[in-house]
Amino acid sequence: MSFTEFRFFLFAAIVILAYYLLPKKIQWLVVLAASVIFYLTYGWRKIIFILLATWITWATGAWISNVYQKEADATTAKKRCKPVLLLSVGILIALLLYAKIGSWVIETMTQLLEFQQLSSIEIIVALGVSYYTFSLISYLADVYWRKDQAEHSYFRLLLFTIYFPKILQGPISRHKYLAPQLREFHKFDYREFCYGLQLMIWGYFKKMVIADRLAVVVNTVFGTPDAYAGSHFLVAACFATVQLYCDFSGCMDIAGGFSQILGLKLEANFNHPFFSRSAAEFWRRWHITLGTWFKDYVYMPLAVSPTLIGVSKKLRQKFGPRVGKSVMTVVPLAIVWILTGLWHSTGWNYVVWGLYWGAMIICSNVFAPEIKKLNRLLHINTEVGSWKVFQMVRTFLLFTVGRILTVPGDLAVSGKIFQKLLFDFQPAVLVDGSLYTLGLDRPNFILGVLCIFILWTASMLQEKGSVRDRIAGCNIVFRWAIYYIAFFSILIFGMYGPGYDAASFVYMNF
Amino acid sequence: MEEKVLKVLQEECPEVDFFASEELVNDGILDSLTLTTIIAALTMEFGIVIPYEEIIEENFNSVAAMAAMVERLSR
Repeated sequence: MSFTEFRFFLFAAIVILAYYLLPKKIQWLVVLAASVIFYLTYGWRKIIFILLATWITWATGAWISNVYQKEADATTAKKRCKPVLLLSVGILIALLLYAKIGSWVIETMTQLLEFQQLSSIEIIVALGVSYYTFSLISYLADVYWRKDQAEHSYFRLLLFTIYFPKILQGPISRHKYLAPQLREFHKFDYREFCYGLQLMIWGYFKKMVIADRLAVVVNTVFGTPDAYAGSHFLVAACFATVQLYCDFSGCMDIAGGFSQILGLKLEANFNHPFFSRSAAEFWRRWHITLGTWFKDYVYMPLAVSPTLIGVSKKLRQKFGPRVGKSVMTVVPLAIVWILTGLWHSTGWNYVVWGLYWGAMIICSNVFAPEIKKLNRLLHINTEVGSWKVFQMVRTFLLFTVGRILTVPGDLAVSGKIFQKLLFDFQPAVLVDGSLYTLGLDRPNFILGVLCIFILWTASMLQEKGSVRDRIAGCNIVFRWAIYYIAFFSILIFGMYGPGYDAASFVYMNF
Repeated sequence: MEEKVLKVLQEECPEVDFFASEELVNDGILDSLTLTTIIAALTMEFGIVIPYEEIIEENFNSVAAMAAMVERLSR
């Protein structure tokens, strides 16, 4: 059951009614039951994996907590717990790898060993495996580092893991943030209900009106790369960037809006990333929960590990402070970005994509003094509006280059596209009307561009303050006019044509 | 201790105004890159090991908090 299916609306309505009409004591059980039902709609076998992963995590967390309570010496307790923690995290990662590379391993082994029986093994990919695995690892690490309390009830931890609005595409929730909210009783709040509904409508608008409309052009052009010129790819790649943003952030708005109706607040996953002035800032504003996860559980532990500090000290003595400092930035960032690429997919295109962003962020850090000097030398005032706009456009284009690396799914095709962009651009395509032959007719294409403008305007207003607060402050006629326009624009302009698969979200595959 | 810590911090991160706020991490004055630089500098200068559970906002929000942490870990 996807957020865009009609049966989801019925399901959501029943959940909201049961949540507020049944006794508050069992609110968490209502959400747990709803989440299990939601998960089961994707097949009963998938649920075994999430139940198992949660059980391993719960048992380990409870055991660590027990050791910490009984052992008087904190250092000894930590030493006792470390192997168990590593074993559990290892099992969680093994389950993740099974889902991620299981098919590839079987395929390779079948080819290498010529053992055909292997090919009959079916790999079951648990829904949301990348998201819940990371949430569970963070929970275990936090319990181990005494930054969070262990959950005593298995079913409470299961609710945190399987909570259905976030299971499809995240956010990668932290237990210490979400679990207390899931424990509390929630009274119906009309304001929260309206705000949640508004956020859901905005999410559906982004997903069904913008992302799915632009996806038609993206799929047409990237699906038959030999048939198109560089300018086609420029338009399609820019559309692919906006499409991914609207698809992913739209899903987050639907999940966040529904949670708000239940009185729950999910972590923000987006903060208008295309207003970022640098690659590093972009990744602090795009898929925020993945970025903070890598920062807290990979980057920081690596960067402050005694081994790396020791290496940094030696290099500092030999080559000076700058080299010593740089090694502490370069090594953890390189590892984080390779892992970020692999988190998305195990293909080479994602490895290169990870290296592309990693190299950019590492260079901007390591060469920050030179970049500053160059700006001074060229008399560039980095605080004027025009320079800020330039930086934002640059961020958008950098992301678009990244999309060209990943959308075709084959590095050789990506290479061909870059070649066409440089040597076979054919600018006339942009004005001779052939853009209207890429799957969207003229009115639909213009509507797509208009919607991007609406998105940009809304984002600008959101940067200046809450748009929902402003709408709430308007008179009732204007307020309801906005709601009706938004609602009917989804009904009228949403993409439902033949061959359109409303069930799939891009980030659901990760 | 506070003076010693401040000296190390100013040498390592001359661009940071450590008195701009009493919540250096929460206010975004110290980002993760600056934090790792500070942790490495304190580790090298005072010969301490800062366990990961000590790396929380409260221990790095001010010079006084960092000095208190160094003092505690030096014992």
